[in-house]
Amino acid sequence: MKEMRTIPIGKLLRADNRQFVAGCRVKELETPALGALVKVILQDKSEVYGLITRISINDDGLVRQLASGVSIPPEYTADNRQNRNLPVEIEVLTVGFAREGHLFHQLPPRPPLSLDLLYLCDDDELVRFSKHGKNQAYLRHILRLTDMPVEEVLISHLSQARRAHEATGNHSWYREACERLIILLRDDYTRLSTILDALSAME
Amino acid sequence: MTDLTPNSQEPVNPDIGFVSGGGLEANLQVRLTVPAQEVQSGAFVVMDSGYWRFYGLVTDLQLGAVDLQYANQLNINRFNPELANLLNQQTLFTNLSVMSALMLERGPEPGTDEHTAWLEKRNYQMPKLMPSKTIPNHHTKVRLADIGDIQDIFGKESKTVFRIGETREQGHPVCLDLEKFVQRSSGIFGATGSGKSFLARMILAGLVHADTASTLIFDMHNEYGIDSTDPQKGTSVPGLKGKFSSKVKLVALGRNTTLKGKNPDFTLEIAYSDITPEDILLLSQALNLTDTTSATLDALYSDFGKNWFRTFMEMKTGAGSTFTNDDGKQEAREDSVAFWAKAANINEIAATTLHSKLRRLYNRDYLVNETGTDVLKSLIDHLENKQHVVLSFGKYESDLDYLLVTNLITRKIRDAWEKATDRFHSKVQNASEPQPLVIVVEEAHKLLNPEMASQTIFSIIARELRKYYVTLLIIDQRPSQIYDEVMSQLGTRISASLGDEDDINAVLSGQASRAALRGMLAKLQPSEEVLMTGWSVKMPIVIRSRRYDQTFWSDLFGVSETKEEKLTLDQLNREMGFFE
Repeated sequence: MKEMRTIPIGKLLRADNRQFVAGCRVKELETPALGALVKVILQDKSEVYGLITRISINDDGLVRQLASGVSIPPEYTADNRQNRNLPVEIEVLTVGFAREGHLFHQLPPRPPLSLDLLYLCDDDELVRFSKHGKNQAYLRHILRLTDMPVEEVLISHLSQARRAHEATGNHSWYREACERLIILLRDDYTRLSTILDALSAME
Repeated sequence: MTDLTPNSQEPVNPDIGFVSGGGLEANLQVRLTVPAQEVQSGAFVVMDSGYWRFYGLVTDLQLGAVDLQYANQLNINRFNPELANLLNQQTLFTNLSVMSALMLERGPEPGTDEHTAWLEKRNYQMPKLMPSKTIPNHHTKVRLADIGDIQDIFGKESKTVFRIGETREQGHPVCLDLEKFVQRSSGIFGATGSGKSFLARMILAGLVHADTASTLIFDMHNEYGIDSTDPQKGTSVPGLKGKFSSKVKLVALGRNTTLKGKNPDFTLEIAYSDITPEDILLLSQALNLTDTTSATLDALYSDFGKNWFRTFMEMKTGAGSTFTNDDGKQEAREDSVAFWAKAANINEIAATTLHSKLRRLYNRDYLVNETGTDVLKSLIDHLENKQHVVLSFGKYESDLDYLLVTNLITRKIRDAWEKATDRFHSKVQNASEPQPLVIVVEEAHKLLNPEMASQTIFSIIARELRKYYVTLLIIDQRPSQIYDEVMSQLGTRISASLGDEDDINAVLSGQASRAALRGMLAKLQPSEEVLMTGWSVKMPIVIRSRRYDQTFWSDLFGVSETKEEKLTLDQLNREMGFFE
């Protein structure tokens, strides 16, 4: 797991305080997943944490040509995937940052810079980040998503976090996180019901 | 320095909720944080806000939801059980309506400089309970009253602070200040079968034991003086005479009357000369008297004075009341009703009819020409000497007997007390302050209904408050039939369950927050719970009443006597060197 943390899975393409987008090679696509906790280490050694909300593979002119062909030799497909002109884009929702060893579930003062390296957090770091502070405050950032089904990101992230916590013997974290979500969304019946439907289906 | 903060210890009860809204008139709204079943209507709650402690009564519980959609469907059917449970906990709730009744300024934390400054500002005057004039802040924590809070409000049990029951939630003792209780006329109410009679027995036992006043109990159904039997359980029910043999005098109506085979302390007879025309008018309904009765009675009294009744009843009617005169005509004899009526210019038929109806009274054994001894005076003497009298009616259980005897005796007693009070206030030599007296009247609606109230001495006593040291304790199952003006004069009202809406309204008439109390009164558990409100009760409260059983008597005689006896023994032992 420690080896995974030291291997970057992408490089920053663009960013603002609320979110950032990293590009990665297809080979590196094996490890990140929707809802996974990732981080960017900035030049001042501070770290910006986020959750993967979208992974996009965009087309380019060559792919369009190949796709319109009758048959594509396997080596052409492999080559196009391995040696894409356009990187696979990983969109990340910012959910917190760390500075001088202190964690914060707030938006960072500054966004990361282009070509900053993106790392996937291992289970230890996922547990540490998600149990920090009170009431899983970082979950509120997920609820800000507007162009992505929130419940899908939540299911993915919560299931990963739940597994990581239960591996350490903590069986109450998931319950507390669900309770926090209910408190945050109880004034929005429709949205909360949709999320709870999805969470119920997950189990 | 004397601790001037409330006597209550540190709160021992956990919070049950917090203030979320409402107001002084509309009642406070409290969001419950414990299951609804842990709190009942009528629960006594306490709220500390700033320097103030508020004491309130739960008057209602309402279910609510953040969004009605959460309440209108079963979440368990849609989501997995754990999520559904979490959702219910966060979106469904119960609110309490709390009537804030009293408040007390507690001041800053004792021992601090702020507390000292606060005391100095108050000139070291102890803060007093007052009716709520303000409200606690938002989110003030609410808890059930603990034993210290109950004692702050209702007092600690002693000889004159009588334990009448306990709180329903936690069984803390609730007391009635008997010294205050007897300062105003009071009422004990309850429907038939509600436990009213046992409640009355218990309170009367407390009054006799406490000696805060003498009591004269008109025992219409022979329930209070002698031992009787519980009609439902068949168990023996102790009477006051058996338990307080030296303090209580048992009087029976009519010579040679016995009560369940036992002789009373003395029997009561009433002389004809004690009966006034007003006493007869009181019996208009019972005797079916006509409108002409008043004029006839006035004429009789005018002609014969206090002997009017005997003289009138000795007049003849019917065949023996006439004779044939020299002209061969039938003429009324001089000792006939007709003769007198003609002379007094009274309608003969009216007089004859009245004579006929009064015969029901004339034939009563307890009405005599002259009493051998002045039993009434003896009765008054006992009461003046701080004793208690139970007048059992024996076989004379009709409304007619009850109305006549209670009104007549009470009139005489009140007259005696009025004279004693006047002597006392005039500072006549050797005149002592009159002994407070409570006259206990059952079936009060027969004496105090709107038609009769103005004629009876009882309504006068009720209106006089305690001008002549005489108050009433009325025991009744139909308070709605008691004259409004009399009900409004009642200080303390202790009510068991009542089914009739009018009766409930009558008990609560003139009470603050009666709308809130109505629901509580309507839901009292028969034979178990009572609502206390009024003069001697600082705030209304629903309690589980004490049982009138052997434990009651053990506790009653044990509270003041056993403890004192133990102290004396301890002291004696120390003096004799048996303790180190």
